[in-house]
Amino acid sequence: MNKPVAHPPLLFLKFFRWYCDPKMLDYIEGDLMEAYHARLKKYGKRKADAKFIVDVLLLFRPGIIRSKAKYNTLKRSHMINSYFKTGWRNLLRSKLHSGLNIVGLTFGIVCFLLIGLYVFDELTFDQQHVNAERIYRVIEHKNVRGEATTIAAAGYKLAEESKHSIPEVENITRIMRTGRANLVDPENPVPFQETVTIADDHFLEIFDFPLVEGDRRTALKEPASIIIDEDLALRIFNRTDVMGKNLQFSHLPFPLKITGILKNHPRNSSFNFNCVMSESSYYAADYFKETMASDWASNSFSVYALLRPDSRPDSVSKKMTRLVLTNFKPDEGTKLSYSLQPLKELHLKSAGIFDGARNTNVEGIPQGNPLYVTIFSFTALFVLLIAAINYTNLTTARASGRVKEIGVRKAIGAMRSNLIGQFLFESWLTTGIAFILAIGVVKLVLPPFNHFANKELSLFSVDYHFWIYAMTAIVVIGFLSGSYSALLLSRLKPVSLLKGLKLQTTGDLSVRTGLVIFQFTISIVMIIGTLVLLLQVRYLNHTDLGFNKDLMVVIDVNTRKARSNFETIKDQMSKIASVKSVSVTSRVPGEWKTLRTVKVSVEGSTDAPGTSYLFGADKEFMQTFEVTLLQGRNFREAYDSSSIIINETAARMLNITGVSEQMVEIPAASRDGYFETLEVPFKPRVIGIVKDFHFQSLRDKIQPLILAYNNNPIHVIDYYSVRIAPVDIPGTLNKLKAIMVANDADDPFEYHFLDDQLALFYVEDARRQTLLGWAALATIFIACLGLFGLATYSTEQRVKEIGIRKVLGATVVGLVSLLSRDFLKLVLIANGIAFPIAWWATNRWLQEYAYHIDVEWWVFAAAGTLALGIALMTISYQAIKTAVANPVNSLRSE
Amino acid sequence: MKKYQLGEFEEVVILTIGILNNQAYSVSIKDEIESRLSRTVSFGALHTALKRLEEKGYLRSYAGESTEERAGRPRQYFEITAMGKKAMLYAKETRDELWKAIPKTVLQTNLLS
Repeated sequence: MNKPVAHPPLLFLKFFRWYCDPKMLDYIEGDLMEAYHARLKKYGKRKADAKFIVDVLLLFRPGIIRSKAKYNTLKRSHMINSYFKTGWRNLLRSKLHSGLNIVGLTFGIVCFLLIGLYVFDELTFDQQHVNAERIYRVIEHKNVRGEATTIAAAGYKLAEESKHSIPEVENITRIMRTGRANLVDPENPVPFQETVTIADDHFLEIFDFPLVEGDRRTALKEPASIIIDEDLALRIFNRTDVMGKNLQFSHLPFPLKITGILKNHPRNSSFNFNCVMSESSYYAADYFKETMASDWASNSFSVYALLRPDSRPDSVSKKMTRLVLTNFKPDEGTKLSYSLQPLKELHLKSAGIFDGARNTNVEGIPQGNPLYVTIFSFTALFVLLIAAINYTNLTTARASGRVKEIGVRKAIGAMRSNLIGQFLFESWLTTGIAFILAIGVVKLVLPPFNHFANKELSLFSVDYHFWIYAMTAIVVIGFLSGSYSALLLSRLKPVSLLKGLKLQTTGDLSVRTGLVIFQFTISIVMIIGTLVLLLQVRYLNHTDLGFNKDLMVVIDVNTRKARSNFETIKDQMSKIASVKSVSVTSRVPGEWKTLRTVKVSVEGSTDAPGTSYLFGADKEFMQTFEVTLLQGRNFREAYDSSSIIINETAARMLNITGVSEQMVEIPAASRDGYFETLEVPFKPRVIGIVKDFHFQSLRDKIQPLILAYNNNPIHVIDYYSVRIAPVDIPGTLNKLKAIMVANDADDPFEYHFLDDQLALFYVEDARRQTLLGWAALATIFIACLGLFGLATYSTEQRVKEIGIRKVLGATVVGLVSLLSRDFLKLVLIANGIAFPIAWWATNRWLQEYAYHIDVEWWVFAAAGTLALGIALMTISYQAIKTAVANPVNSLRSE
Repeated sequence: MKKYQLGEFEEVVILTIGILNNQAYSVSIKDEIESRLSRTVSFGALHTALKRLEEKGYLRSYAGESTEERAGRPRQYFEITAMGKKAMLYAKETRDELWKAIPKTVLQTNLLS
């Protein structure tokens, strides 16, 4: 008789069983069932069910609910204790193995943290402003008959009106960077050439540049106010408590009052101004009122807008474009539009955007290189990964030593999850130890690293996000390095483990070889990368530039007097015995300041005018810089103001093959990519052609260049270049200084050596090369640690075999090659994989440079041999040790 | 003073166990209280009280037979310990003393009003 038994709602029964204290469970469940059945007879199923549910819910109260503390945590903490104990014992038992693991991981983590800090710093440029997420830079896109320019600048009215007519714009500010000019403390008049930034009073509302002193709300409000940073205050006044002091600025007839002291900028700020003057200082000037009233589309200002939360920048920039176009009509054939660039992209994503609104002798905002940020991020991850692979390899290789332990654990009831937990815990323990060691090492090497990388990195004052990322990476690495062995070992059957069967590890072996190949592939790619970088930097510094950059002093012309008196000054300078030659020019080859560009065409030609660079030079230029004249003649005296000399590239562009005083026409000139038509077109004659020389960085191809005479109408002279003899250089410099000061006391003697200045072009490359070099060394070192461990283990396994072979007459050389062969094969395979990758990657990188080395085969051969050699040395230590050992020792014991 | 702690519901439960004498297990206790005092008792409240009484040492429990209507679960029978009896008596005596201390007039007027 099988009557269907009615049962209470199972869901609630299960819920009850889940929460009820196990001690009371049976009794109470019995009660519930008894009551349920009684009610079932009395009221029917529905009511009985309902009452059952109410009972279960009312039983859910303290005293009946199981207490977690008593049953669960207690057990878990016991397990962790046990994991910790066995993990620790394991570490201590095989000291070599754990040592290799910890050293490898420490090295990996040190590299990871250092490079990570570097990359993090690059990625968090300009994030120190509270509203950084909502700040945008206005970018102007102009297209004049197919010629597009992108420039980070806008007009006065754009900033002024956007605030009123575009609701999404919460605040907006304008900045101008005038050329370098003297800032003088009237009480102690020593001239300082500084780049003065001019900003309106919203500047400090939008950006959080901290003021050490002064009220940020009013500092830039009043006319004739200036804020300066601590550095500049120290330089001018020798102290920083200079609030309220006066400064004379050579562009303005009245003194400026210091209304605030800026804190020096952190290194990860794109902004590097050291003084800001209030824009209102100009408001009274008539010319300012007149020009600004209609200035909708000039490139005079850098404009930064703070948008309201949740506004869409592209719709705001469309409104800006519309605003400008309703008030301003561009010339025929000119298209004008604006876009907004997020502040956080200023540092890494400004390629192709000209940093406008600055005088030509003001340096642009320094840029980071996203390519290197990517390369470094990958490097950091790879180094860490290689260290993790080491751990995995060594642990699985040694696993057979722990087979019995695992068997016993399984036999007495360890679940698979317990074993996985144990192995993961061990890898975390190792990673944790390595991490603590790594932090110590990083703390030690950070000061030299900062010095070399030109950064201010710090482990402990870095934004907490860095630690979140780093900790996540460390935990993941601990997990990855432990997980393979954990899964592999916990899978095995206890019976076979206890019977002492050998690990059936064919799959395991191939994974392990795969991992070794992977490690060496990365190491070899990095070695090749470093070598190529090294060669390229050497090439950049030593290639023939077409002029002589050595022993050349370049002196800035900063004042009008120093400029107009140039004949006298030049004359006096050339009279110094140790001076070989003096030249005045408007720009110097290899100069960082912007070069003028002009439109040029041969008179009478129907071709569209080409674009060429132009700077002024005197007749001593070629002699001083040792530039070769190919055809025609040099400049002569005064009447040559309408002559030009062109370089080969310009000659090709203009289709000039022989010099015959061709007339050319220069109708327009530009400072920042936007051409303005000259009032009177410049119509010079071509009198000579010079051999191409690298007047710009080697990243750029040689462009057409026009050398105009020093009194040309387009670009005035700006530099004295003095070629000196290599004797008593300080003395020569002093004499040069005396001449400059005698001619204009206001001019601070500013000079540099041309070769130093040129090296600045490539200083970042040199830094990256060193950084990559160290990372490559670290990877190969870590990989070798792993290889050493594996070799040690595998020779240990074959000790008996070696003994027998030796007894039977094998030679030491034969045995060493037998033991090394397998590993060397792996390195060879890694070479095969690494070469194409490295070839592709280095070629891509070299495309950055217009002039670069070709990657030659011997670089690959060298890297491959290096890797092979290091691997061989690593392995052969063990191999030789085993091969020369007396076979009696290994064969005696069984 | 605080020697014998006995809450109101606990007192009801322990008295009922006394009444049931050897037949006291949760369901019977619940039924007895419900029928005598006409108040509903939830298993939750009852079991909490029983557990507390047992922890205080006033009750002792033992497992009884398991029946089919209980889906094979045993009954948990309760009996009063010596200390439980003392606690009961103590509770009763304190009440009695308090009763005696109330002036007769108070009760009468209260009853009348």
